[in-house]
This record gives sequence, C-alpha cells and structure tokens, in this order.
Amino acid sequence: MDSIFSGLLQALYLLVNGDAEVYEVAILTIKVSGFATLLSVSIGIPVGLWLALKEFPGKRFFLSLINFGMGLPPVVVGLFVSLFLWRYGPLGMLGIMYTVWAMIIAQAVIASPIVAGLSFAALSGLNPKLRLQLLSLGATEWQANWLLIKEAKLGLLAAVMAGFGGVVSEVGASMMVGGNIKGQTRVLTTATVMEVGKGNYDIALALSFVLLIVVYGIVALLTYMQNSGKRDSV
Amino acid sequence: MLEIADIKVFRNKRQTLIIETLSIAAGEIVAIVGPNGAGKSTLLQLINMHLSYKTGKMVLFGEDVAGADKHSLRLRSSMVFQEAMLLDDTVFDNVALALRFRGMAEREIQAKVNKALEDFHCAHLATRMARKLSGGEAQRVCLARALVYEPELLLLDEPFAALDSPTRNTLLAELRQVAIARGTTVILVSHSFNDVLYFAERAVVLQDGCIVQDDMPEVILRRPVNAIIASLIEMDNILPCQVKQQGEDIFVQLVNGVRFAWKGKTMPVATVCCLPGDALYIVDEQLAYQHNLLIVMEGNVSQIVPGLGMYRIMVESQGLSLTVRVPRERAASRVAIGMQLKIAFNPSEAQLV
Repeated sequence: MDSIFSGLLQALYLLVNGDAEVYEVAILTIKVSGFATLLSVSIGIPVGLWLALKEFPGKRFFLSLINFGMGLPPVVVGLFVSLFLWRYGPLGMLGIMYTVWAMIIAQAVIASPIVAGLSFAALSGLNPKLRLQLLSLGATEWQANWLLIKEAKLGLLAAVMAGFGGVVSEVGASMMVGGNIKGQTRVLTTATVMEVGKGNYDIALALSFVLLIVVYGIVALLTYMQNSGKRDSV
Repeated sequence: MLEIADIKVFRNKRQTLIIETLSIAAGEIVAIVGPNGAGKSTLLQLINMHLSYKTGKMVLFGEDVAGADKHSLRLRSSMVFQEAMLLDDTVFDNVALALRFRGMAEREIQAKVNKALEDFHCAHLATRMARKLSGGEAQRVCLARALVYEPELLLLDEPFAALDSPTRNTLLAELRQVAIARGTTVILVSHSFNDVLYFAERAVVLQDGCIVQDDMPEVILRRPVNAIIASLIEMDNILPCQVKQQGEDIFVQLVNGVRFAWKGKTMPVATVCCLPGDALYIVDEQLAYQHNLLIVMEGNVSQIVPGLGMYRIMVESQGLSLTVRVPRERAASRVAIGMQLKIAFNPSEAQLV
C-alpha cells in the first residue's frame, strides 16, 4: 500500500516539477496513440459504414474476421508488423523499423478492427430506412452517409474511445516494432515495463499514474464531446 | 408523370413485384392498397428508385429511369415513411434539411421552413428537439419537411398508420388540401381503406405483387374483384355461393338455399357473393311492393351493433350470417335480438367473385 501511495506522490512530483523525460515520454505516447487512433478511425468508420449499409455475399464471414480482429493479441500484431518492416521484409525498403511510424502502424492494426466493429454496431442500430429517407429528400450519397455518421455519433465516439484505449494501453507491439529507444520510441507503457524490469517500482508506478492521467484526460474530453450532442428541448 | 410497363422486381431471388402497366398523371391523388406483403411499399421504393428491376421500363417526369440521373429525379419528389425519420436535431433544422441539400440561401430557407411549419400547424415546434415530439407532431413535421421544397411527386408509405383515427383524418384532410392547392401528385400506400376513401380519387389494389384492380375507391368498395380484396375493404357480407346454369339461365345459389337469377351474359366463375350491408334491407310495408324485384331471405336477429348514423344488425339465416346496415332510428324502434326478420336485396347489387 505504501509503494502505491509513494508511486502516486512520485507521479505528482514528476508532473508538478515538469520532469523533462516524463513529459517527453507522455507527449510521445499521446502523439503515437493519437495518430494511430486517427488512422484507425479513418479506416474503421468507413469500413463499419460500408458493412452496415451494404449486403454482399460473404458479409458474415467478413464480420467474423472483424470480430476476430477486435481481439488480436498485440504481441502477435507486433511480430507480423516486424516481419513486414524488417530490413528484408516486404516493406523493408521504407526503413521505418524502430521508429514511431512503425509503432503507429502496429497500433493502427490493433485499433482498426475495434473501431470498425463498434462503428458497424453503432450504425446498424440506426433505422435502415433513415438513409432512404435522406436520399428521398434529395441528399447525395455523401451527404446521406455524413448525416448517418452524425446520427450515430454517440456509438462512434464510444468506438473511438475503445480504439484509443486499446492502443494507448498496449505494450507488446510497441516494444517489438519501436524498440523502446530513449528519446525516440519510448512511450509510457514501454517505459513502465522497463522500470519494472530494473526493479524501480516507484518510478514504474509513477509512470503508470501519469499514463492513467493522460488516458483519463483524453477519454474525459471524448466523453464531453459525446454528451455535448445530447441537447434538451428548448 | 409516371409510366410503368412490364416491370419485374426480385428480392432474394424471389419475384416480389410484377407491374404490367401503371400510369399516373400529374396532379392525381392515388392510393395503393392491398393486404400485408402485397408489395405496396416495394412499389413505392421502386418509384423512388431505391430498387433495381430486371425487365421493363419506368418513366418518371418524362425521363426513362434506367438511364437517368436518379439524384436529379429525386430532387423533384419526396417521400414520407411510417416511422418519423427525423434526425436528432431541432424541428427547424429537420425541415430545413431538404432545402440545404439543394444549396438554398439561409434567408430563403428561413422563410420557406416557417411557411411549411405554418401550413401544418407546427410553427410553435420550430425550436423543439425533433426526438421529443409526440407521434402526431412528428408526422406533421415530416409532412412539412416533405413539402417544404414543393415537390412535384409526394410518396407516402403509410405515414399515419401509428396515429389515432381523429389525428389521422385531420392530417389526411390537411395534406389533401395542400396537395390539391399546389397540384402535387400524391401516391399514398395504406392498408386502411377508410384512409383511401378520405384521401384518394383513385385506388390501385395490389395482391401478391400484381395490380388486381385499379378504379375509383367507391367502385372498389362495392365491386371488389376477389374475396381477399372484399375482406380488405371490410365488405359486410362475403357469402359462399354456387353458380349454376339451367338452360340459358344462370342462377346463383347461396348456402341457405336462396337462389336468384344472374343477369350477366356469361357465366361467372365465382364461389363468393359479396353484398354491402347497406344493400340489404329489412322488409316492411314500404318495401313490400318491390318484392318482385328483390330477393327475400328470412332469419333471426343475433346481435345489434350500435354505430354513429348506422346500426349493424346481425341476422342468422339458415346457416348464413348476414350483416344489415340500417339507420339508427329504425334499429332502435323496430329490431330486437331474437326477432324474426325478412331481409331483401337487389341481385344487381351482388358482386360475384
């Protein structure tokens, strides 16, 4: 109990005193996970929309793949992304192994099925005739799709939160493709694992609390956005 | 306005609609009726170009739909569904939506939306959230939204089915008034023939995806083409019968033994005789002199169902249940349960199907 308390105090101390290393790691964490979430949203929401609107042969199989992808183990994703980005891999010519771009790609692979699956669930919850109604009123396909996304905003923001939660908390893939290089690819999760390995439990706890504060801050912001859509009658 | 010829629509490899020919002129107010699963909503979706067809041709606003830009055709029509498909936004923004799709200036939108809301008596709801409206209010807003850009064609897919009867009748009357004033062509899908009588000048009856009758509503009400349509329009008496030929004469025999001559030139293929309740009369002194023109049956009163204006008298006549509609004063003063009555009808009012 003492170590938890001292870890919390250490976290506050590091944050209040503006510890450069902690701030650097925290900011990189937000950048990497933020970019990965943006990437997964730009892939996942259109895929979810497409699955919700279109009927095609093999749709159930495709859905089962998406659902399977929602539970992909980060270590396995890390391994496959490593094999692709490794010097002799199919994408080795990009030369991005052990860079933040490799971490962003790995995290996006983890988050995209989560965002796609939850977006599909959110958009499937809308009345299927709503799209026909919008088209009947003269909307173009794009206008109708955009309004459907706005209608499913609550569910879609939940999908974004779940995607962000999935990537910001993973460690296996980031470690494998990023290498936990100080000042370059070290993020809060990989730094925490490293400190635990070194036996520095108080610093590990402090980093964990910083991670929790960062995650809470972003999720609170998304929750505010989610609820700002619920307007009461005038 | 609309011409459909030889169109077949398939859904899940099953044929759901076969329209040999359907033509609707500009300004017509037409109802599509039929039992559940007859293809009414499918026809409306076809007209609104949400369904593809394998054969045939559809011409809308003078353009062959197959080669036309569907979006530009939809800009000239509008559709209202049974459920109020309102977005999670204010009433004003919901009604303004269609105008914004058309890139109209905000000042013009303001004026048009306010006018549309006033036309349907919902100007006071403009700032309310659409999802907080009652069923009747939401459908009024839907109608205002559908008509705000003055479409040439309005498609209504049972929009009032979930509303109570007085609200439904009021909305139908208001909509009819607006449609006539603007010359809008309206196609209403309904399973309630009462709505059709209230609203339309022409009714198209669908059954199993095919048009089986296309006529004025009052004609369909008295002359349905088959027993299913007869029960759809709530025909009072759908009586099993047999049609027999004796020499050159054709006779219709009901199950209670009553027989009457059929004046048609050809022998009808029929198993059912339809008689509206107001085509059956209680025989009294005033009616007695017409006896030679009428077919008379005897029976006992089993039930009296009160109603506004007309009472329905249920009569059991040798295994045949008959419904007779009589004016209230007549039912109240002269008929009682168990009483024996003579019931008459003119054979020319019978519809054999």
